Amino acid sequence: MSVQVIDRELERLEGLWADGLSDAYRSYLGAVETFDAEAQPKLALAAALIEVGLRLQGLGGPAAPPAALLMGDLCLARASRLLADAASQRVQVAFATAIGDMASSAASGTLGRPVRELLLNAFEPSR
Amino acid sequence: MIAKRLHFETTHATEFVDVTAQLRDEVRRAGLRLGRVHLQSLHTTVGLAVNENEPLLLQDFQHLLEKLAPSGAGYEHDDFARRIEVALDEPVNGHAHCRQLLLTGFATLLVEDGELVLGRWQSVFAVELDGPRERELAIQLDGEFTAPDLVELELARQLQADPDPVALPMRRLVEAGGKRLRPRLVLLTSRIGPRQEPLRAAALAAAVELLHNATLIHDDYVDESTHRRGRPTVVAAEGAERAIAVGDYYFAKATRLIAEIGNRKVTSTVAAAIEAICASQIDDVALRGTFPGDHDSYLRVVRGKTAALFSAACASGALLSDAKPEVVDALSRYGDLLGVAFQMADDMVDFSPNSGKPVGLDIRQRVLSLPLIYAAEDREVGPEVRRLLAGSLGDAEVGRVAELVGASDALRRVGDEARGLVEAALHELEAIELDGLRPTLIGLARSAVDRVS
Repeated sequence: MSVQVIDRELERLEGLWADGLSDAYRSYLGAVETFDAEAQPKLALAAALIEVGLRLQGLGGPAAPPAALLMGDLCLARASRLLADAASQRVQVAFATAIGDMASSAASGTLGRPVRELLLNAFEPSR
Repeated sequence: MIAKRLHFETTHATEFVDVTAQLRDEVRRAGLRLGRVHLQSLHTTVGLAVNENEPLLLQDFQHLLEKLAPSGAGYEHDDFARRIEVALDEPVNGHAHCRQLLLTGFATLLVEDGELVLGRWQSVFAVELDGPRERELAIQLDGEFTAPDLVELELARQLQADPDPVALPMRRLVEAGGKRLRPRLVLLTSRIGPRQEPLRAAALAAAVELLHNATLIHDDYVDESTHRRGRPTVVAAEGAERAIAVGDYYFAKATRLIAEIGNRKVTSTVAAAIEAICASQIDDVALRGTFPGDHDSYLRVVRGKTAALFSAACASGALLSDAKPEVVDALSRYGDLLGVAFQMADDMVDFSPNSGKPVGLDIRQRVLSLPLIYAAEDREVGPEVRRLLAGSLGDAEVGRVAELVGASDALRRVGDEARGLVEAALHELEAIELDGLRPTLIGLARSAVDRVS
């Protein structure tokens, strides 16, 4: 099931799988075990795409060249659609807030929390 | 009373910049129902005129100005040896000041029923007399206003809450104008179904507009654009790093606002549109290697890059109001066709000398453009267009390509095709119940393609 989902969702982004996306995906799988089995690969892939997408864009560092920025944009957009399909409203809002926090830190030139920590946190139930 | 500035950039020494559409936008945005728009040039070499926007007539005006105050006719003002405190970059422009004296620096336009009162052939021009330069006009809107536009209020409210490093650049972009077509489509279609909630619709409309602006910020970096809506782009003003961050922030903020509305179909519809936009943007850049491309590639890119969000705006508004599925589908198709037509009209504006934007920007940036595709296919001018586009594009080459496009049948073909798509879009509305909104949707579609800016 998860292999099929990933194959389908990697259209135009296949090259990224060997370039850090698969590692990121595996590292998020542990964080989504409490969600519906069907949603788990989509949620883990969404988080991995955001992590890789922000890295491609060079957010918080030197700006990426245009082609890499556009690829990063597509990663974020794909992640957004996966979350719309599979995540609860709370998780969708938490992810959007996490990206907003990172972008805000980058714009003000301050050091934000690490991307993975913020995204893993977005899966946590709110307290 | 509302006070604003209209910014624009000229590209020629003498130029008639048609600002009618921008003034109409300001009247609409301000909600002025009955009153006046006062207009004042802030320059001694920019005049104002109300007349017909007909290219040959504008040439006649230029010839008349040249005749009455010829350039190089020996003006006292240009004798720098006799003047005091002359700036190092002082231009030789006695003729331009004298020409301005023949025009006016002030104008008052009447507004009735929320519209500028203009005769059928009247357009409002800012007349550049010493260009090219960046220019601004002061405007004041005075009279009876309707209740403030909910979308504008919501946009202002959202931008107020954000941190300055991201909010200030976005505020400049949002306040510089724009047609707000996408949020208008959301608001209109949100009134079609049985569940009508103006505040939720305004929140969705504002989020869609923020999303659109976020994509523009990244586009401007990719296209190396220096100006948008008459002002420096975010990338030009703030640098690439900040531009990427501002685009990301508002992408995230818009998706959060849409998620908070809590309608899963709306969220999915808009998310699918964002994905289509991003994928098409990659295709658009890739196609620049085979510039100017062909009609099929053009349609594929434009469907994603422009039409996807028009379509999603229409569908999501209708979904929010619990409209019937067949109504949502028909509005989605209406938005798709309208979006393609809008992009075609936008391509044509690139060849209009009166748009307020430099002519030939798309050519210079090698942006996919249907008039260029048609001109490149033209039996007469095609070979020269293709040869020029295959080489490096300096001012002379861009000017020549624009001239060839104007001389060919390309602009007429694109105009016909855009109007045909609008008719097809309107056809989609025929079989559905629109609760009195049909005339507004028809008017909006027609005005989206009949424009000069």
